[in-house]
Amino acid sequence: MKKDKAVVLVVEDNTIIRMGAVDLVLAAGYEVLEACDADEAIRILEARSDIDLVFTDVQMPGTMDGIKLSHYIRDRWPPVKLIVASGAAILEESSLPDGSRFFPKPYDEHAITDAMARLLASGRSTLTVG
Amino acid sequence: MPKTSTMHYEAASTLAVVVSSNEPLLLLSEDQNVVAASASFCRAFEVDPSTVTGRRLCEIGAGEWDMPRLASLLRATASGSARIEAYEIDLVRPGRETRNLVVNARTLDDGDLDRIRLLLAVTDVTDARAETRLKDDLIRDKAILLQEVQHRVANSLQIIASVLMQSARRVQSVEARGHLHNAHHRVMSIAALQRQLSTSSGGRVELRAYFTQLCQSLGASMISDPNRLSIAVEVDDSVVEPDFSVSLGLIVTELVINALKHAFPDDRMGTIVIAYRSSGKDWTLSITDDGIGMPLGTDAPKAGLGTGIVEALARNLQGEIRLGDAGPGTAVTISHRQGAGLPTDVSKAA
Repeated sequence: MKKDKAVVLVVEDNTIIRMGAVDLVLAAGYEVLEACDADEAIRILEARSDIDLVFTDVQMPGTMDGIKLSHYIRDRWPPVKLIVASGAAILEESSLPDGSRFFPKPYDEHAITDAMARLLASGRSTLTVG
Repeated sequence: MPKTSTMHYEAASTLAVVVSSNEPLLLLSEDQNVVAASASFCRAFEVDPSTVTGRRLCEIGAGEWDMPRLASLLRATASGSARIEAYEIDLVRPGRETRNLVVNARTLDDGDLDRIRLLLAVTDVTDARAETRLKDDLIRDKAILLQEVQHRVANSLQIIASVLMQSARRVQSVEARGHLHNAHHRVMSIAALQRQLSTSSGGRVELRAYFTQLCQSLGASMISDPNRLSIAVEVDDSVVEPDFSVSLGLIVTELVINALKHAFPDDRMGTIVIAYRSSGKDWTLSITDDGIGMPLGTDAPKAGLGTGIVEALARNLQGEIRLGDAGPGTAVTISHRQGAGLPTDVSKAA
């Protein structure tokens, strides 16, 4: 099965920032889904099998923050790429799953779309051999 | 040796010294009878002074000093096999708050080897410990609060940045889009400073790190081909106040945006160099590009908001702006000379 657009799930509790992130993902040419916390994100990931990348905030209400969510996703859906953004400038990159990218807020949109393109390209080369 | 007669052997002066000790103090016989208790001891631990002398330590008050561990340590001290130094023990009294005590004990060294007496000093550290705990809690709370504030500031800046970029993607007019992008760069410039401050100690800013971050941010959003255009940061080890750095950062932002927009048309290659040097209170900031140079006379572009911002900030920093030909390219230098033209500055007059 081949789809023409990668699917990105944006997880962010702040409405305006989520709108901005959704807009940014759309402008970069991907299909976008949105969730306002980790629980909703997990429901969406369980319901759909075509999500390529999750772009998540760290501090969110609910049962998990973005760091726990990223580990949960890595364990349950290992191929899903991860980008984490937070207002906390110093975040131990080691606290995130291997291969995920971290950006402090406010993030530069080019840096985010650039990271998305790289992560999605690397996923494709390893997953669709042959 | 009859136990009941211990009192008679003590010199009045010894007793007086013990009784008047500022630190709660007990003078005990070898078998832990109280020979004398300081008034401060009776006051601090609420025992009736008239009921103390001549009784066993374990019997004074309501028996709260009957602490087997303390008794055994005192026995060891009396025998010379141990010394009690800063030994911590809790004083537990029914219906009262438990007190944390620090006790020190030693034998009285008065040359009399036959009759051993013990000096037991007791300090109530409950309040001091509580105060230390409170102070530690406050320091921790302050750090958490500061982190929370920095987090909120970052989030607020993200909201502003998100709104500006959404507007920029929607507007049709190229000019309006340019203005929105510029507004976004200014917000990111302040965000870079905020990030620098949150990782620095003492609220001072390392200019080199700040300018490097600032230029990375500007480059990431404005330079599509890093092989064609680059920004170099040549800054000394200056560490400055946040207010000063935010002004410098905004000046750099405006001048770099300007150079990226106008100095390299037609895919021209080039470099922008941001330099900062300081010596004492004198400093020089320069933004130099190797582009096409600035058109002069009637071809000169109309001064925009960016120029206004640079002029206002430079004036505020008492800096002098000089526009020069970098051959090729343009060099904008803003320098500040402390006491320039002031006759009071004689130190460097010669």
